Amino acid sequence: MRHPDLLISAYLDGELSLDERQTLMSHLGGCGRCSREIRELQDIRAAVRSLPVLDLPPGLVAEADAEIAPVRHNRGVWVGAAAAVVAAIIAVATLFGPNPPTITVEDLNSRLGARVSLDPAFGPAKVIIPEVTE
Amino acid sequence: MTESVPLTWEEVARVYGRKIYNFAYRLTGDPNEAADLVQEVLLRVRKGLANYQPGSFEGWLWRITRNAFLDDVRKRNRRLTSPLPDEIDRWELAHVPGADVEYSRINLGDDIQKALLELPIEFREAVVMCDVSGLSYEEIAAAVAVPIGTVRSRIHRGRKMLKDLLA
Repeated sequence: MRHPDLLISAYLDGELSLDERQTLMSHLGGCGRCSREIRELQDIRAAVRSLPVLDLPPGLVAEADAEIAPVRHNRGVWVGAAAAVVAAIIAVATLFGPNPPTITVEDLNSRLGARVSLDPAFGPAKVIIPEVTE
Repeated sequence: MTESVPLTWEEVARVYGRKIYNFAYRLTGDPNEAADLVQEVLLRVRKGLANYQPGSFEGWLWRITRNAFLDDVRKRNRRLTSPLPDEIDRWELAHVPGADVEYSRINLGDDIQKALLELPIEFREAVVMCDVSGLSYEEIAAAVAVPIGTVRSRIHRGRKMLKDLLA
């Protein structure tokens, strides 16, 4: 006699198709071995399912959260540093970029008390700071 | 199989933390290893949630849990063993309210736990997923990435091995 062993646990778990269930039922009618095996495996199944359900150890989730937190913190530091670098680049580009703030000779003269010469005969533009007298 | 919108990390920890812990404890037989595994799973969930594609959230979660367990087994590269009775005693007394009652319940199931640890990993995980975690054959097949027929065979053979071990 060929025994449908693999159907037995699936039967206990309600995982058989209708056809498989009918096959097993008709077999069980004439097979004491398989009927006994169903009872024995039913006991094993029930025993495993009766194992106590344990509680999570207190603080485990908080520990997991703390384990992850440094990653978040470091990421924040890097984002801050990147923002500072970007701000510095923008500031430099503003001062020395293609459209620097304009300033006139008169501004320089009045602000610095200096004499500014743009005469090509003197070469590059020069700023002559007046000597400070005591 | 549940189709759902992904939860936040905190919700995953609250809703599934205990399930994952019991799964891990029955597979390893060791409260410390189980706790480490829960932390590893939660870490992977945190990283993975950002890229989670809508689908079976529980299937995704159990795949992560099962893979974390196998990675841990490979890392430790040793045969899993049962904890010493005093390890259970110390842990239970330290962590569980009404520990004396809980400890006696664990003693009743101690033979079953030891027998579970004697099973080869593929049979142990199939039985634990089915009888401890309450997953359907379809959910186990998805988590373990094997056909349902293989799940059916592993659960049946695993239970027969348990029967022989407990005889």
